[in-house]
Amino acid sequence: MKFHLPFKRRRERERELDEELRAHLAMAVRERIEQGEDPAEAEANARREFGNVPLVKEVTRDQWGWRWLETLLQDLRYGLRQLRRNPGFTIVAVLTLALGIGATTAVFSLLDAVLLRPLPYSHPEQLFRLYPTDRSGRHTMEATSYPDFHDWEDQSRTFESMAAYYDQDFNFTGADQPERLRGLCSTPGLLALLGVHPRLGRAFSPSDGRHVALLSYRLWQRRFAGDPSVLGKLIHLDGWDYTVMGVLPQRFYFPPQEFEGELTAEVFVPAVPNLDRSWNYVRAIGRLAPGVTAQQARTEMGGIAARLAHVYPDVDHGQRVAFGRLDRVAISGTHETAWMLFVAVAFVLLIACANVANLLLARDAAREHEFAVRRIVGATRSRLMRQLLTECVLLAILGGASGVVFANWMLPLVTYLAPQNTMLYTRIHDVGVHLNGSVFLFCAFLVVLSAMLFGVLPTWRATSAEHSCGSTPHIGRIRGPLIGLEVALSIVLLTGAGLMMRSLIRLRNVDVGFRTSRLLTLDVSLPAKRYDSAEKQATFFRRVLGSFGSLPSVLSAAAVTNLPLTRTSTWKTFDIPGTHARQGKAEYNAVSPDYFRTMGISLLSGREIMNSDSAHTPLICVISWRMAQEYWPNRNPVGESIIAKHALVMPTARGTSRQFKPQQLEIVGVVGDVRQLGLDTPPEPETYVPYSQWPSEEMSLVLRTKSEPSSLIPTVEKVIWSVDLDQPITSVRTMDQWVSREAASRRFVLQLIGVFALIAIALAVVGLYGVVSYWTRQRTHEVGIRMALGAEKRDVLRMVVEQGLKLSLIGVVIGVAGAFALTRFLSSLLYGVTPTDLLTFVAVSLILIAVALVACYIPARRAAKVDPMVALRYE
Amino acid sequence: MAKKPRYQNRIELLQGTLDMLIMRTLQWGPQHGYGISRAIRTGSDEVLTVETGSLYPALHRLEKQGWIAAEWKLTENSQRAKFYRLTPAGRKHLVHEQSRWEEFVKAVSGVMKPAEEKS
Repeated sequence: MKFHLPFKRRRERERELDEELRAHLAMAVRERIEQGEDPAEAEANARREFGNVPLVKEVTRDQWGWRWLETLLQDLRYGLRQLRRNPGFTIVAVLTLALGIGATTAVFSLLDAVLLRPLPYSHPEQLFRLYPTDRSGRHTMEATSYPDFHDWEDQSRTFESMAAYYDQDFNFTGADQPERLRGLCSTPGLLALLGVHPRLGRAFSPSDGRHVALLSYRLWQRRFAGDPSVLGKLIHLDGWDYTVMGVLPQRFYFPPQEFEGELTAEVFVPAVPNLDRSWNYVRAIGRLAPGVTAQQARTEMGGIAARLAHVYPDVDHGQRVAFGRLDRVAISGTHETAWMLFVAVAFVLLIACANVANLLLARDAAREHEFAVRRIVGATRSRLMRQLLTECVLLAILGGASGVVFANWMLPLVTYLAPQNTMLYTRIHDVGVHLNGSVFLFCAFLVVLSAMLFGVLPTWRATSAEHSCGSTPHIGRIRGPLIGLEVALSIVLLTGAGLMMRSLIRLRNVDVGFRTSRLLTLDVSLPAKRYDSAEKQATFFRRVLGSFGSLPSVLSAAAVTNLPLTRTSTWKTFDIPGTHARQGKAEYNAVSPDYFRTMGISLLSGREIMNSDSAHTPLICVISWRMAQEYWPNRNPVGESIIAKHALVMPTARGTSRQFKPQQLEIVGVVGDVRQLGLDTPPEPETYVPYSQWPSEEMSLVLRTKSEPSSLIPTVEKVIWSVDLDQPITSVRTMDQWVSREAASRRFVLQLIGVFALIAIALAVVGLYGVVSYWTRQRTHEVGIRMALGAEKRDVLRMVVEQGLKLSLIGVVIGVAGAFALTRFLSSLLYGVTPTDLLTFVAVSLILIAVALVACYIPARRAAKVDPMVALRYE
Repeated sequence: MAKKPRYQNRIELLQGTLDMLIMRTLQWGPQHGYGISRAIRTGSDEVLTVETGSLYPALHRLEKQGWIAAEWKLTENSQRAKFYRLTPAGRKHLVHEQSRWEEFVKAVSGVMKPAEEKS
């Protein structure tokens, strides 16, 4: 190791000092000889009188200043030499640390992207979501009514400003392919409230009317090639013309949380106020006035809500207003997962550190002689400690650097594995996961932390006074507990992975109520302008379904308002007339006649919906088994009837309004239960009504195909565009994709925890193997004597394995206790297993014990093979 | 921890005095480390022996402070050695130190005398 210029002078001085002291000795010897001493004697006496040469040099050098730097460089040089001299140890230690630090860094950058990056609004900490509660005042609801929002905005003084928004999708038509766009309708003040200025043009104002639009940066790039002349141009949304007022900044996204799978709304238009106070459809957001605390705002909003409840008792009775800080709301549901992964990866890092500490202990045992010599020639303990810790930091730096490489390699993988259509995915792809400054800073912190974690114990031990003179080392006393700790941490991780795996298997085997294979699904939303009557809407779907049905590779095709397993459902209340009069609530789906056959939903009694059920025949419905059980227990409900309200949305001068018309429906059949919301949500009561009697402009289409469904996508698009060239199609997926999306979040967590658990076990096994090997080497002599005295190989094997197993068992017991305490944090991700699932705990413990057995058996067998004569001569 | 006596402690004990003795020795002309230690030893009738572990740090410290300067020269026995000499600043400092030392000795003997008379 060479250091240049600034240290050149220093090397010279070093040489001078050397010569100065040699001259001193030479003169002392010469004088003694002149006084008549024998040359050899003179030399020895002069040396004795002089004292410890290196020590004199050291204390002299101390006077030069910059001593600490000198020491550090010396230690670094020495440390590097040590690491180079021991390449096996160095490689294993650096790789272990790289795994630990790299994985932790990768997860931290995920955390950084998902949780720690601020929302792209000015002072996001002042922004709050406002939620109305239901009548009980206990449950919050996402949306409120426009009149209520307007009163809040009007009366509140603690909020500087408020805005309301709701999402609405638009069919974007024009030059190219028609496209379905995520849209957001907001009151004019939204952008001003967020403190965001459009990149181009301006935000809309109340005087702009209804048909103005702002485009997201992405939409502007994608459809207009970033052309600035887009301002003032007309775009077609649902067949209406909207004037483009502006383009939003590239980094802007809104809403911060509620859009699944999409980064942001792509088009922003003014909200249409609906004056019905009972229709909750707008989401409210507010910015606190400067100097106002959330508590003050809460008090004020409480007063406002109480006043509204008094003035409008029929709709607002009992309603309160709840708050949520926008930045917290935005990460709810995601941050639990992210923190859990972080804890899991911290375990991996701990295990890695424990392993390196173990390696160091073993290596230092081999260096004991060196330490003893250095102590004897005068090195102080603190000096030795400093030097050993420098070696540890060096090791950690090497590990950290390799860890960054490892993390950099792992990140695209993590991004790739992240489940689509989840907040995690959205955030990852929106802000991107990078190794940025804060990640590097964190990595540097990890380097120091891990150096301390793995370095302190071995250093303290290696420099402790009692064995510096070569007394028998009691390494096992420290290494044993370290191994126990590793096993315990591995158990916790493996238990987490095991529970996730059981959940996934349970989810896989859930009976969803229909056959998911070979189903192609897609969404169609007809624009209200061109399809302004139920007649026109029904005609479109009839023609499309007819064409689908005649395709040779399609067995049957159907339409439904809410496809199962897609996390959407419509709930409606209904009344049961007659003697058993009561009110009920059920999911509601309008379907085309072939729906049950296409999906493979079994008919349990009565009849299906048929082509003959039309707008001109009596209203009928088919109900699910669960609904029959709940409302007509022990009776066949076929022939009974329910009264449902049919909502008619009427356009008015000041927006839209709804009218309800109660209708009596006869129950004609009962079908099997279907998991409507998702794999993990049990079936709810459900009513199916004929599409022809309850038309809707938004439908999902399902096709049961003969071959692989995704191969049909081009054909399906062609069929739809042959009926209406301007009709966009969205969410073209196979049902299997929906199903796998259902398990995606859990699978992601399982994959990561699984990888962490595997790394953990691998490290623990390596550690255990190392310790047991070390023991057997230390006890070769003892083994030799035992065998010479007649011990069988079996006995030796048992002795060694028993000892290793004892360690692992202690680790397993502690680990099981730890897992017992920690797995409940997983419970939101589990399905069908409890966090303390006995089978998982037993299986995990057995797996670990089995692995530990193997790790002990190999060195044990080697010990048993020892030739007693060789072993005895060994000493 | 080891109860081993450390050189640093001795330096501190002797600090001011040793520095003064070294500079005093150098008043007669440039001298190398060995010569200085020998001069102090013989000058004190073998009472004071200067440990190398104290001498060399002191020399290097005085050199750093600018009170002495060093130069490589040959001894009369043609041995290359590092000779130290007093700088003008060192000379001034020595005068100052010497008067302080005399005050110190006077003060200490003043305190010690009455005790001697009583005994």
